[in-house]
Amino acid sequence: MPDVTAFGYVVPIVIILVAVALVVGLSLAVSFYLTISLSVYRSVKETRRNRVRPALRDELLSRLFAESPDWNTWAEELSRTERVVVEELLDEHLRELDGRDADKLRELGDALGIPEREGRRLENGHEYARLNALTWLTLLRRPEPYLMSSFEPETARERAAAVTLLQTTNKLSNTEAAVSMLLDGTNDQFTVFGQDTLYRVSRGNAAPLIQTASDRWDQWPEPLLVQVLAVCAHLETSVSTESLEWLTAALETEHAAIRAAAADALGSFGWRASLRDQMFLERATNDPSPHVRAAVYNMLASWGDEQALTVLLFALVEETDPRALTLGTTALVRRRERIDTDAAAVLGNAWDWSYEHAEYDQIARTGSAEALRG
Amino acid sequence: MHSLEHIVGTVLVLFGLFVIGYYLVINGGYFILHILALFELRDDVRESRWDPPFRKFASPFYPGIGIVVPAYNEEATIVESVRSMLTLNYPELEVVVVNDGSTDATIERLIENFDLEAVDAEIPFDVPSEEIHEVYRSTTFEDLIVVDKDNGGKSDALNTGIWMTEMPLFCAVDSDTVIDRDALLTLVKPFLEEPTTAVASGGVIRVANECTIEDGMVKEVTLPKTGLPGLQVMEYLRAFYSGRLGLNRINGLILISGAFGLFQTEAVREIGGYRHDTITEDFDIVVRLHRHLKETDREYTVDFVPEPVAWTEVPTTRRVLGRQRRRWYRGMVETVVTHWRMLFNPKYGRVGKVVMPFFVAAEVLGPLIEGLGYILLPLAWYFGFLNIEFFIVFFLLTTGLGVFLSWFGVFSEVWSFNRYDSPWQVLRLLWYGVLENFGYRQWKTFVAWYGLVEYIRGDTTWGVMERTGFSTEDD
Repeated sequence: MPDVTAFGYVVPIVIILVAVALVVGLSLAVSFYLTISLSVYRSVKETRRNRVRPALRDELLSRLFAESPDWNTWAEELSRTERVVVEELLDEHLRELDGRDADKLRELGDALGIPEREGRRLENGHEYARLNALTWLTLLRRPEPYLMSSFEPETARERAAAVTLLQTTNKLSNTEAAVSMLLDGTNDQFTVFGQDTLYRVSRGNAAPLIQTASDRWDQWPEPLLVQVLAVCAHLETSVSTESLEWLTAALETEHAAIRAAAADALGSFGWRASLRDQMFLERATNDPSPHVRAAVYNMLASWGDEQALTVLLFALVEETDPRALTLGTTALVRRRERIDTDAAAVLGNAWDWSYEHAEYDQIARTGSAEALRG
Repeated sequence: MHSLEHIVGTVLVLFGLFVIGYYLVINGGYFILHILALFELRDDVRESRWDPPFRKFASPFYPGIGIVVPAYNEEATIVESVRSMLTLNYPELEVVVVNDGSTDATIERLIENFDLEAVDAEIPFDVPSEEIHEVYRSTTFEDLIVVDKDNGGKSDALNTGIWMTEMPLFCAVDSDTVIDRDALLTLVKPFLEEPTTAVASGGVIRVANECTIEDGMVKEVTLPKTGLPGLQVMEYLRAFYSGRLGLNRINGLILISGAFGLFQTEAVREIGGYRHDTITEDFDIVVRLHRHLKETDREYTVDFVPEPVAWTEVPTTRRVLGRQRRRWYRGMVETVVTHWRMLFNPKYGRVGKVVMPFFVAAEVLGPLIEGLGYILLPLAWYFGFLNIEFFIVFFLLTTGLGVFLSWFGVFSEVWSFNRYDSPWQVLRLLWYGVLENFGYRQWKTFVAWYGLVEYIRGDTTWGVMERTGFSTEDD
């Protein structure tokens, strides 16, 4: 075989091939060893856990429903594997149970020393270790390790998990504090958990979120703004008229996704005098995007008063996009008992289609279409 | 004679040098993809192991999903498939079954079992498909719509469903795919976290042969005992855990499996839905989405979620597998030829500059070059240009590296979701990673050449997938 010359050195190709073969061979040996070792380790661990799980589940449930569960004695008797399985069962049941049973189970968490351990993880672990720690403390309703630690939530996930812990343990000083924890100093978009957390804390008192959004909506990146608007769309609570100016402004931004989300949000806040402005409604119902127009039709149907429905009906008559028209008539059918006009005659096929589908929805839900027919 | 020998020799030597260079570049690329995949998998596994403390079903933030099920002569399985889809864990769901001109009793089975009634009103918008005869609604299942139409093929049926659903997202699914109960909750994550930019997401498709399926759910995961499905398990693991995961790290995913993928309905409607004149519509649609969104200068993501979400039966005979792979190859060439302007085109970002060229070099040209090598090698030996020792060492090295990359996929599986939980099954998987290099790999190069010939001849047949059915607990 020939030699290879590089950088003034002559190396026999055999040497190169042997070196490459050694690297490949070593890589193969290492990956084989790692894969099999990991598989054996996980299999042994899982087999041991599966073996003890049924008995531990029975024991846990019988102690849970006994007069005195005596968790401490039981926890002391558990082997390492059994403790892991009991923790898994505890996690599973705490997510399903409420009330006194859940409270009783939480004492098992104390007996297993979970709050202390998770408190330490909050200080030392990586992000997911900290998230799991906050989750355990939430499930156990034990905020103390978090409150006593020096840990400050940084990422969007951590902020949501910390707010959830404080909210479920009634340690939130007020909604402002929660909204501030979730939204101050960050432009990161939420996970669905974060979005849901913002929704849960704002449900009782929407004002702090509306105020924050009103101040900062035009600085937020598009995904975050759309997420906040989606939260607003589900709040269904009353706020002052002036707080909604940012929403009407959002309905006129250049991004269709924001305009549609703003229309959804406006739908949840009801029909207000400031929005009766004819020019505003004309612009909204003439939006260039059919997707946004469909959201505006939904908004008008959600408002549901005579004036809104009249605007909606006129807009649908003028609608040129069949998809937006169908979505609009579907929204209008929800309010059909409030309109006097013969919508079928005005809207034709789209109305018939939406109406018939609404009937089938009703039949499937209740077994009868009577309610819809009125 | 002397000069002919000289020409042949020169050609063979140049080809040999080209193959060595090509081999270094492609395997270097694969190696980088594997490393990227490991980082991606580490993040995804950590996230999937954290179960945040909130009730998903009470959350109003999950966007509605329409599951589109094209059905052609599926009378034996359609009722069970639809039942299984109606019970998937997801807050807002609609199932749109499109009976694509079945000649058996598919529609009758659906009418009987789901109390369907025809909707009298005409559809108030145009649906780009073959003629629709009836739209049915169920009087017992609010979330079910059935469309009965003339036969137009899978793409036509998918388009019908996409135009009929009013959900913001749709999930394209084969009627014989077994979907994990929480699959939609998993697959929708990118749309929740990037609500304005996510347009598509795909998950890991697993081989269902010999798994125990009960009530539309995989109850027990078993590695197929026979060679051919077993080798495909190995291929699927490598493709999903290395290729797609690595590409996802650089937002360069260009293929979402047709068996199960989630898309933004409006974005797909914008590009006119699935193309009728292609045989790999799942590949084509993702490439077209990339192309359209780049051309309209929109920010977007196409995501891959590495959790196992759906299960499909793979061919068990060489004849059927060969037919399937030839079709895949023809479709791949067709899609690449259709979108050749994207190659090396900076307008299409990373997809145009890196992903598509690498894909063409590795997946389209790779098997052809390898196949050519198997023909030229004996020639080189005959003319005395082959250094046997070098060839053996080179073959062993390339095979060794190929095995290493396959084992990387197995390691990823064991490290992450570990669905093949017995070490014996894992050992067998590793063995398949070795075995595929002796015979199976060479056969696939032949299939690729055959597929290329079929493409040049204009063959557009699909071929029939022969299914043996899933195991049940009673078996």
